[in-house]
Amino acid sequence: MSGKQNDFTPPAGYDPAKERMLDFKIDEDLERVTETDRKNFILTTVDEVFNWARLSSLWPVTFGLACCAIEMMAGSATRYDIDRFGAGAFRPSPRQADLMIVSGTVTAKMATRLRRIYDQMPEPKWVVAMGSCAIGGGPYFKYGYHVVKGVDFMVPVDVYIPGCPPRPEVLLDGLMRLQDKIRGRKGKFRAPKWVREYARLIPYVKR
Amino acid sequence: MEHAQIHALLVERFGDAVLDLVEGEQPRTVVAADRIGEIALALRDDPDLAFEYLMCLSGIDWDGYDESGKGKSVKILGYDENGVPETSDRVAEGDFGVAYDLYSYRHRHTFALAVRVPRDPGEVPSTAAVWPTAEWHEREAWDLLGIRFAGHPDPRRILLDENWVGHPLRKDYVMPGAWEEVPLAGRPYAADKFTEDDVVLPQPTEDGGPQGAPKKDDGDGS
Repeated sequence: MSGKQNDFTPPAGYDPAKERMLDFKIDEDLERVTETDRKNFILTTVDEVFNWARLSSLWPVTFGLACCAIEMMAGSATRYDIDRFGAGAFRPSPRQADLMIVSGTVTAKMATRLRRIYDQMPEPKWVVAMGSCAIGGGPYFKYGYHVVKGVDFMVPVDVYIPGCPPRPEVLLDGLMRLQDKIRGRKGKFRAPKWVREYARLIPYVKR
Repeated sequence: MEHAQIHALLVERFGDAVLDLVEGEQPRTVVAADRIGEIALALRDDPDLAFEYLMCLSGIDWDGYDESGKGKSVKILGYDENGVPETSDRVAEGDFGVAYDLYSYRHRHTFALAVRVPRDPGEVPSTAAVWPTAEWHEREAWDLLGIRFAGHPDPRRILLDENWVGHPLRKDYVMPGAWEEVPLAGRPYAADKFTEDDVVLPQPTEDGGPQGAPKKDDGDGS
């Protein structure tokens, strides 16, 4: 049974060099692109369309751990409304979700459950570490005997959102940075001018 | 009823079992640990006292304090700058204590009890039969401090995992570096890994920005 599927032999007279695509000629009328066609056709790649679909409908798994989850709920409520960015459909099952917002302190007991939820999510999937605790232990770094010092010890993290807890605007900003990452337009993305001006005032460390 | 009156009532009724009265913002009556059961029952069932509500049951590790409760707490072990758990072979010797805070809805008065037992074996009779609230509170005291409660109906851990080793709020507890493949140690501080040359300072904007241009010769380095 195991070796049967590899026993394929090509039929007699088969010559791979003669294999070719269907051979037809494009009509000259079709090659000419009119002004109307320019307005009615969009040329793109399948990957780009898929990425656009993915980033426009990120479904987070309903997963709140601590006080950051309160800000996450505020972000999904009417005032900030995470649904504007397509990430408002909080799914009760990890099977239907592709984004995990780790909002809060990851304790040793929860870390194993978190890993299991992450493993149950279908690919492609992304993880956002929200708040100081999820990034690096936060206030529990020194004496937290039960706290994982950063959720990236357990699962790979795409976006880190600092704050204790971060305001909903920062969560939305982190979501948009994740969307940029999915879009794969690292170099082409250009933030608004006021953001660029503000970013120049923030000191950072070269990696 | 005031705390002093109730204390006098207990002294009159139980005699030697009442050991001490600790004055303070909330006075606290210290009683013998082996008679806490009958004292608790009397406090609950006496119609003049009627302490039917146990507000809180707290466990105390007296290690590092002297007999009167004064003193300085010993240093809690954490992680060193490399993220490795600090180790120690120090064995704590202080007593264990349990504090009971009571309230009476009928008379609207409070009362505070306490017991103090040697660290080994560190066993206090359970009051879960008197106040059902005490069941979970005693499980918490067992979980975090390792105080045993004799006669407890369900002596399991309540917060930490069943397989956790040690009792974290003890003064001689050493933090674990990992627990069942879950890493708990921290990373080294990033400040040690970078020099001043790696830090990019804020650049002045065209209009100076809200903070203005940074000055290079600032004395305090800000």
